[in-house]
Amino acid sequence: MEEIDTSVNKKRSFFRFWNQPKHAAYLFMAPSIIILLFFMVIPLIGTLGLSFFNINIFFTGTKFVGLDNFVQFFHDQRAINSMWHTVYFTLLETPTQVIVGTVAAAALSRTTLFNRFSRSVFYVPVICSLTTSGIIFSMLLDPNIGWIPYVLHQFGMSTPQFFRDATLAMPSIAVMTVWKNFGVTMTIMLTAIQAISPSLYESAEMDGANKKQQFFHVTIPQIIPSLGFCVMTNLIGSMQVFDQIYVTTAGGPEFKTESAVQYIYSRGFSAPYQLGYASAVATILFVIIAVLSVSSNLYMSHKEKQMR
Amino acid sequence: MEARTADTTELVDSTKKSNYHRNKVIKSIIFKIIMSLLILIVVFPFLWLLLSSFKYEKDIITYPPHIFSGKYTFQNYIKVWDTIPLLGYVKNTVIFAGATMLISLVLDSMTGYALARMEFKGKTAFYYFVMVSMMIPFMVYMIPLFIEMNKMNLLDTYTGLIVPRATTAFGIFMMRSNFVGLPRDLDEAARLDGLNEWRIFTKIMLPLSKPTLMALAVFTLTNNWNDLLYPLILTTTSSMRTLPAGLALFTGQHISFYGPVMAGAVISMLPLFIIYIFAQKYFVQGSAMSGMKE
Repeated sequence: MEEIDTSVNKKRSFFRFWNQPKHAAYLFMAPSIIILLFFMVIPLIGTLGLSFFNINIFFTGTKFVGLDNFVQFFHDQRAINSMWHTVYFTLLETPTQVIVGTVAAAALSRTTLFNRFSRSVFYVPVICSLTTSGIIFSMLLDPNIGWIPYVLHQFGMSTPQFFRDATLAMPSIAVMTVWKNFGVTMTIMLTAIQAISPSLYESAEMDGANKKQQFFHVTIPQIIPSLGFCVMTNLIGSMQVFDQIYVTTAGGPEFKTESAVQYIYSRGFSAPYQLGYASAVATILFVIIAVLSVSSNLYMSHKEKQMR
Repeated sequence: MEARTADTTELVDSTKKSNYHRNKVIKSIIFKIIMSLLILIVVFPFLWLLLSSFKYEKDIITYPPHIFSGKYTFQNYIKVWDTIPLLGYVKNTVIFAGATMLISLVLDSMTGYALARMEFKGKTAFYYFVMVSMMIPFMVYMIPLFIEMNKMNLLDTYTGLIVPRATTAFGIFMMRSNFVGLPRDLDEAARLDGLNEWRIFTKIMLPLSKPTLMALAVFTLTNNWNDLLYPLILTTTSSMRTLPAGLALFTGQHISFYGPVMAGAVISMLPLFIIYIFAQKYFVQGSAMSGMKE
């Protein structure tokens, strides 16, 4: 009898212990934290570790090579080119998307039936995968079956080859990405614009500011933080460009559109399966992205402080 | 004399007004034309795909290309199931994206709840851990993740696809913002009534969070449904591919028939499109939330 009592008591005190918020919190968080540790933190450390080894996908002939992989990177023209292609894509895509998204948001900020309809339409490409977008555009821009090259040809241009043309391929991919993603920027900027107090516009109007002046002197300063956020996430996202290139050009023609992530992927997951070297390139790309995000974060918070 | 001046000023005033009014109308018409053009640019690729997917192959490859064709057919939608293992792709995508969505809703809201409404040792550290996790791109750690899954024999399994995605830092962040916004006295009153922590969470807090849960649900569903690189790396056999990975590889190989690929592309985006029509505000809310990261 007594034994049962103590076990019940034990059970109760056990329950009471874990039912206190300061202890229960750990139980609530445990699954997520364990998953993040196992499938993100450990692999992340693994990337740095692997980059010091020569290791292939079959784990044969694994050898510690120190910094050799990093040295190799600076002699690997294809790797360095892939970085430049990534930067080129980013410089094409990010400003265009932020401008198109912001202008669309500003133009559609008032809630009328027409505006609401336009917003819903502009968001549709966002839910379409980059893979599907890539398939659509590679057919639509195909010189043989595509409609757009044909129309441009009718206007007297020589049929553009878009994805097959070394100079046109990357801009085409960037335009397609803007088409697919500007709805996200529009949505974020719309939230920011609609949060601006109407009294600011009223007083600007009383001072005789026209619509254009209002946009540049009232709207823009008010949405700077959101604008900065969009630029930052876009920059970081563009630096990881992969899907749309993989589907449309696969890095071609002649590696002219190969992005950094794509180079990492093809180095690691196709012959010669150099996981160590691919990890070194991934580490370098990570450092670039980390520097970008930290510095733009610092710059934005500095700007915000200045404006107050 | 005085009366005449008054008359003319009134006249000038009214012409000014009608001019102003006319300008406004013209401006609104120009605005609508520009927006309609933009709408056309956004919609045209989809319409073109949809129309072409119902054309006969010979009408697709004809030159000069026509937007409309005389005859339409369902044959691409029938042939696609034989040319591409599409049924398998659909099944894999539904299982992967669906299960990931359901599990991550539970885990993300649990963690978000703890971070928002409980006081415990190391809370700030955990919070910063989640915030930093949000900024780490997948491509950086995909190679060791592949090795890890390979060693655990989890490549080409649903478990292997689902578990690493079963929680996201963004989801935790989103749920935390939601729970921070709920009134403080709710859980205090419940605690006085003798409800335990789990019941407070499930019976009181979660029902109040339905809108955020919906937004997070469509957000994770879309992300995983559309993801390419992640399933591409964690699956190696054709029978485990998801829609994007399968279609990408299929178009990567030389396309011999365009029609079935077009039909496949339509089928791959149809489910999300239908959900979007009914739950549009939740999609938009998810995007808007991502803009409030700070």
